[in-house]
Amino acid sequence: MITLTNLGKVFRTELIETHALREVNLQVNEGEFAALTGPSGSGKSTLLNILGTLESFDSGDYQLDGKSVKGLPDAALSKLRNEKIGFIFQSFNLIKDFSIYDNIELPLRYRGLKAAERKQRIEQALELVGLHARRDYLPGQLSGGQQQRVAIARAIAGQPRILLADEPTGNLDSLMARQVMELLEQINRQGCTILMVTHDPDQARRAGRNIQIIDGQLHDSTMYDPLAQHTA
Amino acid sequence: MEQLFYYLKVSWFSIKRAPLPYMLTVLILSLGLGVFFSNATFYYRMNSDPLPDKSDKLFFPMLMLVPYQCSDCKPPPVLSYSNVAKLDVSTIPSAKAAMYSADGYLRQHAAQPPTPVTVRITQRDFFSMFDVPLLHGTIWADNQARDELLLSKATAEKILGRTDVVGQQLLLDDRLFTIIGVLDDWQMLPKLYDAYNRQYLNPVEDVYLPLESGYDYNYLSSTNSSTFDDADFRKLATDGRNKALHQLQYWVQLDTPAQQQAYRQFMANLVTDEKAAGRHPSAEANQLVMLRDIVRYFGGESADIKAFAIVTLLFLLVSVFNASHLSLNRYLSNQYEFSLRRALGANRSQLQMQLLVDMGLMSTFTLAGAAVIAYGCTKLMNSLWPANHLFAGWDVQLMLALAVLTLFCSYLVTLYPSLRASFGSLNKQLKE
Ligand SMILES: Nc1ncnc2c1ncn2[C@@H]1O[C@H](COP(=O)(O)OP(=O)(O)O)[C@@H](O)[C@H]1O
Ligand SMILES: [Mg+2]
Repeated sequence: MITLTNLGKVFRTELIETHALREVNLQVNEGEFAALTGPSGSGKSTLLNILGTLESFDSGDYQLDGKSVKGLPDAALSKLRNEKIGFIFQSFNLIKDFSIYDNIELPLRYRGLKAAERKQRIEQALELVGLHARRDYLPGQLSGGQQQRVAIARAIAGQPRILLADEPTGNLDSLMARQVMELLEQINRQGCTILMVTHDPDQARRAGRNIQIIDGQLHDSTMYDPLAQHTA
Repeated sequence: MEQLFYYLKVSWFSIKRAPLPYMLTVLILSLGLGVFFSNATFYYRMNSDPLPDKSDKLFFPMLMLVPYQCSDCKPPPVLSYSNVAKLDVSTIPSAKAAMYSADGYLRQHAAQPPTPVTVRITQRDFFSMFDVPLLHGTIWADNQARDELLLSKATAEKILGRTDVVGQQLLLDDRLFTIIGVLDDWQMLPKLYDAYNRQYLNPVEDVYLPLESGYDYNYLSSTNSSTFDDADFRKLATDGRNKALHQLQYWVQLDTPAQQQAYRQFMANLVTDEKAAGRHPSAEANQLVMLRDIVRYFGGESADIKAFAIVTLLFLLVSVFNASHLSLNRYLSNQYEFSLRRALGANRSQLQMQLLVDMGLMSTFTLAGAAVIAYGCTKLMNSLWPANHLFAGWDVQLMLALAVLTLFCSYLVTLYPSLRASFGSLNKQLKE
């Protein structure tokens, strides 16, 4: 479902050029749960942002469901983001003065769904993350783990096919982290493809696939063998 | 609709997040707009054309026909009775009226305390030339002396308690006059027929009296009169008519360029003939000034008002600049939320809708603030310069102009910063 070929990304500032990604080749199939690991500054977030079409790339190609996203206009990219992709961030990124319900509603609003349909999807998502009783709380009134579960509810409320999670448990203690992981695994079992950046080797092992990035280059893609894919 | 409420709610939350900078932005902008608007109103009114169809057809002739030697000087701004008589012979103008102003006391009967009134002493064409509306009655049948007067609507209401008073008699300085007409509401702004000495800032007169009666009854000019011989300005009926006592303004209506040219020639011939007859020694220096140019001709344009207008404009620019700086900071601190919304699938036009609603909300607050501040400023100016109160009136057009200006300034203040925020790099804020 995701195919990157020779993808490169360079950040240019007045002083320096940073090659955040070089010649990245990657194929991710529907239903995979892949962990993205690598040292800090190696380009994990950049890769995730490119996959989420939040960031452009400089060379190579990115095909989503067989179609290149290169050169797509803003409206098409936004639609893609809204319908196919869900984001989860390390720092939750909930809007502080919006209720839990209103936070989860955001992507559904932008999709232009009717109020009744929004409500139904939000309730479903709240049910899944086990926070139905807290729908009218503000994010600040919840624990970190609960907040991250709200963020997950927000990401899946639109029923995306890909979930991109950037260190989703980075700010959580181990108990909460485990709950979040279990939730993600549950979502994956329902058919959602997940790419997750993590520093935790245990988590990486639990994922079906481990992709390592070092210095902008992909290494040791344990499960993935492009030749095998193509010849199969 | 529901979506609009949602956008409003989002705007409102973002205001609530940092209310102080927002209030400061609105306050600064309101202040700039309010001060500018109150001053611009004044400036606009002062420079407006009260008779747009006619202001290039009404002319103010000034004759260099005086018994003194003067090379290189302007003709006197007012004419003597005999000079007006000489000009009056011409049939070129389609209308013409001489006039001056005086003060008087008006009452219904001797038992009533007298009310001071301003009196315009003039001729019948005055009313048609300056589009004076008549509510009741008629104007004088001709330019002869007669004990008939016209009243402004307000004066009729004040003295007699109603306006339908044609045929009634009144005491003007204890002389009995018959009311033959009552004017409708009328305020020529600026009062250009009376431009000399900045009289154009004053309200129109309360009472209208025939010119000949004014001279007969010795109504002395309340503005300026000059004598260039041994004329006694206190003896209007005699010296006023025969000698060089200059106190009359004279207006003629010349509808076509040909008429205007012919009239200039007529004035020139008149002065040449008089000079040949030995009745005046000066070099030819006649003037025929268009109504539209009359304030400028008399140098009545106020430099301080202009300077003040420029200062308030600069003040507005500074306000917009400051407000936009504040608003930029506000947006930069909100940029994270923009990025988040983008990540969740908002497209640019959806974000822009949000910004438009932000702008609408800011415009609404600012418009309210600006209106209040402009009102206060106008009140202040009116109390400092009471004579100018006539020029401080707002109408629908001006209010609309203020609304448009507010919208434009809010646009400047909101849009640039928000564009910067929404087209800026998307990902930075979310990565960590
Ligand atoms: N917006 C940016 N401008 C310039 N350099 C950037 C930007 N974002 C990331 N980088 C650089 O790209 C490299 C990869 O960053 P990142 O993807 O955030 O790493 P990771 O998430 O693996 O820690 C780093 O060297 C970082 O400094
Ligand atoms: Mg990172």
